[in-house]
Amino acid sequence: MIWGKLIFGGIGRRGLEAIFAWFVLGAAVAVIAASLMVVEGAREALSRAERLDRPDIVQVKSRFNRALFETPQSGNLAPLTLPVYEPLIDPENLMAAGAVDGMVIARQSLFRNVVSNDQFLNIYVFGIEPELERDISTFSIARGRFLRNDDNATAVLDEASAHALGVDLGGTFPVRKADGEDLTLTVIGILDAVALRYPPPRTVEAPSLVPNSSFVSSGAFVTLRTSEQIFGRPTLTDVLVVAGATDRVPLMVDQLREIFRLEPGVFVTERYTQFRRKVQDFSLTLGLFGILGTATALLAGSFVANLLHDVYVDRRHQYAILMGLGFSPKLSLLPALAFGLILVLSGTLAGDLLAVVFGPRDFAMPSLMSDLGGVMPRFDVFVAGASLATAIAAMALSLVPTLWRLLRHPVATTLAGEAR
Amino acid sequence: MSDTPLVAVQSVSKSYRRGAVRALRQVSFVVQRGEFVHITGPSGSGKTTLLNLIAALDLPDAGEIIVGGTDLIHLSSARAAAYRNEQIGIVFQSYNLFQQLTAVENVLVPMIPRRRFDRRFALELLDNVGLADRSEHRPAQLSGGEQQRVAIARALANDPPLVLADEPTGNLDDENSRNVMSLLCKSCRERGKTLIVAAHDNYAMHSPDAIFEMRAGTLTSHVRPSEVQAARNR
Repeated sequence: MIWGKLIFGGIGRRGLEAIFAWFVLGAAVAVIAASLMVVEGAREALSRAERLDRPDIVQVKSRFNRALFETPQSGNLAPLTLPVYEPLIDPENLMAAGAVDGMVIARQSLFRNVVSNDQFLNIYVFGIEPELERDISTFSIARGRFLRNDDNATAVLDEASAHALGVDLGGTFPVRKADGEDLTLTVIGILDAVALRYPPPRTVEAPSLVPNSSFVSSGAFVTLRTSEQIFGRPTLTDVLVVAGATDRVPLMVDQLREIFRLEPGVFVTERYTQFRRKVQDFSLTLGLFGILGTATALLAGSFVANLLHDVYVDRRHQYAILMGLGFSPKLSLLPALAFGLILVLSGTLAGDLLAVVFGPRDFAMPSLMSDLGGVMPRFDVFVAGASLATAIAAMALSLVPTLWRLLRHPVATTLAGEAR
Repeated sequence: MSDTPLVAVQSVSKSYRRGAVRALRQVSFVVQRGEFVHITGPSGSGKTTLLNLIAALDLPDAGEIIVGGTDLIHLSSARAAAYRNEQIGIVFQSYNLFQQLTAVENVLVPMIPRRRFDRRFALELLDNVGLADRSEHRPAQLSGGEQQRVAIARALANDPPLVLADEPTGNLDDENSRNVMSLLCKSCRERGKTLIVAAHDNYAMHSPDAIFEMRAGTLTSHVRPSEVQAARNR
């Protein structure tokens, strides 16, 4: 009871100032929190765009082989094994360089004619590194299981390809190897959705999970070891290199171009530059919001600190009396700290609640050239922490002169100087 | 009375404003346990400064102050606070009561650091100073004399061996001054306290054991009436 009175009692005419400070703090925190919520939502939109676009991935691909269009279905050619891309990338060359600072994900993208139900069926065969590939592409298993690195002569098919081939889980189908022999693949998994990162263009009639897509959305997925058997060579058709950090992409691209400078059929493409262009406007607007939010926090915090400072100055005499009566410096300042903390914590809580309840549900960033989707303002630990830090900083700023006065001057001086 | 003095002030000097104002110059005296000492002198003579130093509310520039065996010069701020709380009771000229607290709560405040809330003792102290029926009144509801009596009760709350009173009647009229001083002396006498009162007026203390007169920061006269009387009797 006495502590309660020591903390809150005896404010006198400064009580109104304290209440005003509370309201200003609440309003300031509400504005700051609402701004930061928008900033956080925008950051989320940016990272979502980054997750979707993956500017950290660089593609190294061989040139496209147009002979692909001459399929056996025309009746002019014997069944052939043709790659989507020419297999021009030597993995030894890529690895030996040692200069690539990123994760290398190798692929062999093949195109095969498979005999099915007395007819030739065009089907894409992808030799992949299953565990690495799953980090960048999406495979949704409907039945069975996905490939493992040590699998051999097994395949995972999407539903469309499985249906066209007339096979199901556990079934087999032959694939003609480069040496003319057939390799029988056992189906160990059926996919109901496939989203390949950097898929090859769809240039020929083949089973497709996504109708009218210009990119390949279906096929048979095998391990790289199996595809090397089919293909008859270890060279790769395309490789994805994931940079350790997005901003290292330009350097990595230079390194890769240097590695393949003598191979005119190999191209290095990246989305980083395009992505930076796309989000630059967005990032600038975000930075402006950040600056405005910081300026608001500084101004409002200074105003609140000034109001609280007046309250504390008025109460210095009480704290000095406590010291005079034998309260330790820490104990003497406890009412001051408690008063300030209770005021700023409750003010921050009220402000945060205001921001959450009355803040914008969605927000359209002005003057943006990029379409990153809707910005959904969100209240998170950063917003809570930043608004609380602003309030605590205001309190600390207001308390410092009083602390200095009480702790750095003799008690007698403070008692005499602050006596009313 | 023990031979060891309760308060020993040795060659104490104190100045303010970087030496521009010399408040105390080489002041030395001792106060025995149980003695009542009246420090007198005109305003600005250094009485308050001297009491502040004995109360560890300030530090001297030079000299030594030992109270109850405690060297006040080398105390940390926390130890000085503990000393103030346990070893001394202070009665200020301007009462320094908390306006938001009742009389009994004001008396209880010094007990907070010791975590010993003895409300019954606080009420007994208020009863001793004649405020039993006003224990729940706030300072604003009390007269100046009553407020100073609350301050006296508060000074005795932790049962300190030494009570310091700085111009305790400075803000009171003659009648209240006499009453307050009488109560202060009576309360301290009954509880065996040592009392040092700094006051420039004549009715500050009845029959003190020692009267120290100060002028311009120096102790100009040091009289022990009992010794004078003894000399006269001889």
